[in-house]
Amino acid sequence: MFGKLSSELDIAIQKAVEQARDTNYFETSTTGHGVYPFINLFEKEGDLVLATELPGVKKEELTLEVREDVLRLAGARKIEYGEDCSCHRLERKLLNFDRSIKLPFRIEGDKIQAEFKNGLLMVILPRAESDKPKQIVIN
Amino acid sequence: MAENKVATKTEAQDLQKQEHQEERTVAGRFFIPQTDIVENKESLVITMDLPGVKKEDVNVKLEKNILEVEGRIDYAPYEKLNPVYTEYNIGNYARSFTVSNALDTSNIEAVLEEGVLSLTLFKAPEAKPRVISVK
Repeated sequence: MFGKLSSELDIAIQKAVEQARDTNYFETSTTGHGVYPFINLFEKEGDLVLATELPGVKKEELTLEVREDVLRLAGARKIEYGEDCSCHRLERKLLNFDRSIKLPFRIEGDKIQAEFKNGLLMVILPRAESDKPKQIVIN
Repeated sequence: MAENKVATKTEAQDLQKQEHQEERTVAGRFFIPQTDIVENKESLVITMDLPGVKKEDVNVKLEKNILEVEGRIDYAPYEKLNPVYTEYNIGNYARSFTVSNALDTSNIEAVLEEGVLSLTLFKAPEAKPRVISVK
């Protein structure tokens, strides 16, 4: 940016900072910044909505926990084929995952709604009343 | 910038979605679903990850040795949602395979469960392994 006067270190720092905030949402492949499972966080009327794709994972094997402002998602997916088969192509992987995500605000634990349909998990996380910003009247 | 991106993503690269490069006449992005192809004595089993796709929105077509699978996702849960932090792309799925003549094209079973599509293509009777006894 400032011509050849930038040192190697400056360039490396600049790249690292930009990369940390970068997202490939509009590009052809996904970001993969995080660990599996990849999540998308959306906002709807002040509440957070989490979307994750977990094909092949059964509801019983999925753990979803919330404590204050940390959300934990854990589970496993098994893939089994018979012994007498010849595998031409195996792209789907056996997965064990356990991921904790820190959210921008605390969540009202009792009002969480989670739906797992067609391998897509959608969790609605309403903001805790105690965590909502309060207007301060200035005299 | 491009070199740095490739280096840090190698761990999660296998799990990323690849975009389908074919030109289409329908609006919407298409991605390539992860697939397992396994063969056993009677059939060829193809398992594909299609999260977010309902049974009615899957199209499976086998024509002239080309098997085409297309799954459209339901965009309804995403209406009125504003992205805050994203790690993966959302879109439809499509993939096609060239299969051999030895399959019975009239007998295909498809099951969609929890976002996983299992296609069982039975082999034509002539292609099954036959034991030849030597006199």
